[in-house]
Amino acid sequence: MEKIKTKINKNRVIFYLSAKIYPLEAIYGAAYVFLDRAYLFLNNRSGEKITVFLKGKNKLSGKQLEDLKGGFLNELLNYAFRIKLSKDSRKLRELIVGQALISAYGNEDTVQENEIGYENDPLGIAMSWEDKYGVKPKKAEKGKK
Amino acid sequence: MEIKFDKKIYSLKAIKSATQAYRGLADFDFKQKGAYVQVELKNINKDIKEIIKDEFCNYVLFSMKL
Repeated sequence: MEKIKTKINKNRVIFYLSAKIYPLEAIYGAAYVFLDRAYLFLNNRSGEKITVFLKGKNKLSGKQLEDLKGGFLNELLNYAFRIKLSKDSRKLRELIVGQALISAYGNEDTVQENEIGYENDPLGIAMSWEDKYGVKPKKAEKGKK
Repeated sequence: MEIKFDKKIYSLKAIKSATQAYRGLADFDFKQKGAYVQVELKNINKDIKEIIKDEFCNYVLFSMKL
């Protein structure tokens, strides 16, 4: 396993990442996560390698700086994997969304149902009781002979 | 104080946005020099002289997301 070259000085840890292995988007993602914990600076002098400067917001020991770097690399791996998964499953996602849209727009029953207005009333629901069954004869009033 | 931002990593838009946000704390001037954008900070507020460079760099990185 190739060890990542690291320098520790002035409360900061400096290390180099291969731009071929880690996409820039993944480096940004990991960096955003660490913005509240450390000061970050990125550089790309050689073109293939990206230099990461991680500086503690408070005074940190060498071990703590190493831990900070380890945390950053873990987060970087997490983002790199997410990006890879997202790329790999892109076609499948597009297919699922496409099918969902087609089934939503292409259902003829739904369209027909929507075309029938309430004013058409094919089942004869919108009719008063009197219209449907006629007026009931009034009962004879009590006490009348 | 000078900071050199690599154009491949930092966008000019993000640098400008950070400059706008920090303009009350120092005077900013930036030039494009080859692969870098060089930001010069002058008349820095005394209270934040120690941290403004690091905080500004973090803010530029944050602005990349916007």
